[in-house]
Amino acid sequence: MSVWTWLKFVTFLWLLRKGFKLARWLLVAVAAVAAWPVTVVAGTGYAAAWLRGWPPVRLYRAAAWTLIVTAAWLAALEASDPGFLAARQPGRAWGMGWDQLTMAGLARTFALLAPVALPAGLALAGLIWAWRIYAVTTGLGGIRASAPIAFDRRQWRRQIRTAKGLAAAPGAVPLLARGGHIPIGGTIRAVGHRWHPVLTLPATACTRHMVIVGATGSGKTNLMIRLWAGWFTATTAAARAGRGDRPLLVVLDCKGGRDARRKADRTRRLLYGAGARRVAVWPDEARLCLWDIPPDDLAVLLYQMIDSGTGAAAYYADMLQAVITLAVTAPCGPPLSTQAFLDRLNATWLAGAWNDGRHLAEAEHARAAARHLPDIQLRYATLLRRLGPALDSPGRLDDADAWYCILEGTRERSVAEAQAMALTELAAYTATSLDGKPRAMLLAADDYSAVSGRVPLSNLYERGRSLGIGVQVSAQSWEGLGATEDERYRIAATADGGVFVLNTPHPEPLAALAGKRRVLETAHRIIGGAWGDEGTTREQRAWAADPDLVRRLDVGQACYIHRGAATFVQVARPRPSPLSLMPPPAPVAPVPGPPVVPVPGPRSEPASGPDPWPSLASLDDIFGPESPR
Amino acid sequence: MTTTPNPFEALGLPERPDLTDEQVRAAWRAIAAATHPDRPDGGDMARYTAASAAYAELRTPWGRSEAFADLADQAGDGPATAPIPVISGEEPPPALPWQPLLALTQVPARIRSGRPLRLAIRGLIAAGLALVVLQLIPGTPAAPADIGGLILWFVLTGRKDLAPPSDR
Repeated sequence: MSVWTWLKFVTFLWLLRKGFKLARWLLVAVAAVAAWPVTVVAGTGYAAAWLRGWPPVRLYRAAAWTLIVTAAWLAALEASDPGFLAARQPGRAWGMGWDQLTMAGLARTFALLAPVALPAGLALAGLIWAWRIYAVTTGLGGIRASAPIAFDRRQWRRQIRTAKGLAAAPGAVPLLARGGHIPIGGTIRAVGHRWHPVLTLPATACTRHMVIVGATGSGKTNLMIRLWAGWFTATTAAARAGRGDRPLLVVLDCKGGRDARRKADRTRRLLYGAGARRVAVWPDEARLCLWDIPPDDLAVLLYQMIDSGTGAAAYYADMLQAVITLAVTAPCGPPLSTQAFLDRLNATWLAGAWNDGRHLAEAEHARAAARHLPDIQLRYATLLRRLGPALDSPGRLDDADAWYCILEGTRERSVAEAQAMALTELAAYTATSLDGKPRAMLLAADDYSAVSGRVPLSNLYERGRSLGIGVQVSAQSWEGLGATEDERYRIAATADGGVFVLNTPHPEPLAALAGKRRVLETAHRIIGGAWGDEGTTREQRAWAADPDLVRRLDVGQACYIHRGAATFVQVARPRPSPLSLMPPPAPVAPVPGPPVVPVPGPRSEPASGPDPWPSLASLDDIFGPESPR
Repeated sequence: MTTTPNPFEALGLPERPDLTDEQVRAAWRAIAAATHPDRPDGGDMARYTAASAAYAELRTPWGRSEAFADLADQAGDGPATAPIPVISGEEPPPALPWQPLLALTQVPARIRSGRPLRLAIRGLIAAGLALVVLQLIPGTPAAPADIGGLILWFVLTGRKDLAPPSDR
């Protein structure tokens, strides 16, 4: 074969290839023009999906909904023209349409064919959009090599915009959806999970164990309040329908401070809207009784509340535990108040209590411990005084529908730790108590790391699991979940209700829980300084929950990781239905009885800055009381 | 719920939760520089104090979102509640069998408390297109199907513009 023949052959092949390509495009163009009503719908659907960042499934579902229109049309046709002659109608209408190529004629044809064109066009748009996503992400589509990156970034922005719009709609993200699901917010992107416009979780997810990690200001509290209110609403609705127990929500706000009071107020307003009748804020407004706990558990708790140390201090720790057990489990019954307990840490009292002739060993122990009793009494007197009266007054967790407990973890860490232990123990007691009706419980600890020094988070989880109560824990970072890497993994990996990750600087360990997915990666060959049309495609592994995306999450955006998949969501601010607003409760007439000792409120921080104007009292000093001003 | 005056107004800022730290700080600095009591003209103590208090409230994203939420609540979006420290023993009322029918009676209130303007625009579009369909293809089997489709579109997309029902 001569060079000239070879050149002609190559040129012929090139022309043939281009000819086929041109013919293919021409055929597509002819089909698009011929089926123009379908093309119009498909083009509109494709443009909407591109502009709003919808996944193809959104178009498929829209196509499925429009089948109702088709069914109605077929039924109407069958009624007017029986005998399945209806099948000829679209063709007839389409054929007639070509004779009326005016605006009104085209609109008339479209209206006649809409029952067929809508489902077909939307399904076609879904298919084309799916192919486009596939082609661009695998490197087959796009002009430049960076097309997949630019495409993904653009779609991410649009998905966020759409999700924000949905989250802002009043009826799109209520506190409770159908089927007892808790709506969280508009879905930004689902990777591995089934896509829905609004991410919802079954209320049962909250009755298992859930972890929420996010830096300060990332929207963690909003998310938690939404989950609480959603769980409360769902459980209340189930209880009213006779399908479950009444809810009892116990929130431990472990950081405390002014923000905690505001969060408590917001939570309370939401819970009232959700049907709660009694929401108690502890220790500001309501109190609990530590001494209700069964004696054996109370003895262990009181022992754990004191930091007894290790090593050489083990001797003292053993002594402490023995004395506490003797004081609490005395034959006359457990102490009923702090003062009663402190009174028992006395050699005379212990000897008298156990010296009944039936407890010789215990009486001997009481005598042996006599010289340590003043020290132990002093330590407990100090601790219980610092704990204040909020754990030493009549009050039970099941008296209310929800408790918002504020622990000053950042101001008085040791006290807050002791309070957290006591409240957790009271929750466990309420969950296992046979008095009264059983309750569906959710124990939520916000920023638990602030008090987790002596009660590791994993203990809280394991206790919750064994007692059948849901535990929800939040931390500001991966490191805040536990003291050691092992403990952190134990907490995160056992969160069978899912893990929410908000903006946090080190999301990799949590993102790893979602695992990786298989993706196609295409490499293009560079020819003469340009991207050629040759290359290779290979299978790669990519994060399901991309840590870089998690790091870039804005305020109120979260990544929900569950069962090896991830969904990015724009969390909607929880708001109760305006229709559920209740008027303020009427003032209750004072009930005669023993006077209530007021609980001291939290120390308020001194106001910064000078007083803008003399107070009214100081004006009285100047002008005299009741003087005209 | 805070009962303080509008902190956004005190700093001359728009009532938005998405303001940046820099915007808030710049607004406070501008007011503080103009009203500080150490100024030769004596400044404006009341305004300076109000701006300082507002800055303390708005300087974090959380504070801004809370202040914004409180303003929205004060405007009537939120529930009116008061603390209930006194606890009585009543239980929530049981579900009634005719609850679904009662839900229909809530629709007007849900429209009023939702986004009525958007809903009206959506309704006008659907009604306009339905009229066009009736004008173009009167009496054909496609006409009721098209109008049914428009109603379906209105119902499915308009739901999110309604306020949630009272039990949600």
